[in-house]
Amino acid sequence: MHGEYKTPGGKLVVVDFEVADESLRGVMVSGDFFLHPEEALADLTAALEGLPTDRTEAEIAERVRTALPRHAELLGTSPEAIGAAVRRALASGETADGQG
Amino acid sequence: MAKADENGAALYSVPDAALDLAADRWRAYQWRLLPEVPRRPAANMALDEILTERVGRGERPPTLRIWGWSAPCVVLGRFQSVRNEVNEEEARSLGIAIVRRISGGGAMFVQPAGAITYSIYAPEALVTGMSFAASYAFFDAWVVAALNQLGVAASYVPLNDITSPGGKIGGAAQARRHGAVLHHTTMAYDMDVPLMLRVLRIGHEKLSDKGMRSAEKRVGPLRQQTGLSRATVIERLVSFFASSYGLQPDELSGDEEAAIERRVSERFGTKEWLYVLP
Repeated sequence: MHGEYKTPGGKLVVVDFEVADESLRGVMVSGDFFLHPEEALADLTAALEGLPTDRTEAEIAERVRTALPRHAELLGTSPEAIGAAVRRALASGETADGQG
Repeated sequence: MAKADENGAALYSVPDAALDLAADRWRAYQWRLLPEVPRRPAANMALDEILTERVGRGERPPTLRIWGWSAPCVVLGRFQSVRNEVNEEEARSLGIAIVRRISGGGAMFVQPAGAITYSIYAPEALVTGMSFAASYAFFDAWVVAALNQLGVAASYVPLNDITSPGGKIGGAAQARRHGAVLHHTTMAYDMDVPLMLRVLRIGHEKLSDKGMRSAEKRVGPLRQQTGLSRATVIERLVSFFASSYGLQPDELSGDEEAAIERRVSERFGTKEWLYVLP
C-alpha cells in the first residue's frame, strides 16, 4: 500500500507497506523532508512496523513522536503528516507501484 | 545589503542589518574556494561527505566548493525512494545516472551546463544558537543578495527554497557530520523541463499546495532571468562572497583527491546506498 501527504508549505512524506494479520509490514517511510540525525529514519520506520491497521491518525502520530529520539529534528513534515499518509494508504488500498 | 557593485544598485530587499550581522559570523573564518572541476555524479556526492568530515575534524579550513558535472544525473535526497521519484527505465535509456546525496530534500535533475551548484562546508559554530530552520535562511542570505545584485528579484522562502516572481530558482539542503555543517544549494541555470518531466515523477500530491497547473511554471532559470553566461553568473556569485567575507583560491589535496575513489567504491557508487530506500 502507498500513501502520501504533503504538508502545506512543507514537504512530502510517503509511506509504503504491506498488510498482514491486520498490521503494517515491510514499512518504508520516504520523502523530501529533512531529518537530523539521518539515522533517526530507522526509528520512524520501526514505529510503524507491526502497527495495527485500526489505529487513528492521532494514535499513529503519537507512536511516531514517542519513537523519535529526543534530540531528533524533523523538518518539513511531522508525526501527524505521517499518520495522515498511513491512513490514506489504508483507505485507498493502492498497491505500492500504483503511483509515482 | 553589504555593498552594491558598479553594475547595479541593490534593487531588492535583503535587510541590511540582517546581512551585516551575518557578515560578522562569516568573517570570523578564513574561507577557501574550490573552483569548478567536472566530476562524475557519484564523485560529487562523495566529496561532500569527505569535505564535511574534514572541516569538522579541523583538517581543512571552511570551504566554498563550486560543483562541476561530467554527466547528467538525478540526485535524490537522503530520504527519497528511488521508485517514487525516478522513472528508472527512462533515465537508463537516456544515459542519466541516478545517485543519492547525504542531505535530505528533493530530487534534482542535473544537466552539466544547466545547473549551478555549490557547497559550503563550515564548522557548526558558524550557526551556533540557530535552529535548523534559521540556519537555512542564514546560509542562503548571501546568495540571495548576490542574485539581487545581478538584477534577479530572488528571495528566500522557508524552509529551503530560493524563488523569484519569474519562478523557482533553486533549493538548498543540509547535512551535519563531526561538528561540521554541509549546506549545498542547486540553482537552475538552463532547464530542459520536458526532459526533466520524463525522468522525474512529480505526483499530484507534491503540487497540491502550490496552486499551479504545471511543473513547468514553477521554474525560473537564471539564464532566462539574467541573460548572462553560466560562467559569468558563477563568477559574480563567487565575487560577491569574496568581497563580503574573504575567499582564498584552493584546490583539493592529493589525499582528498584519493579519498574520492575510495568513498565512491565503498558507498556512493554502490547499489546498497542508492537503494537504501528502494
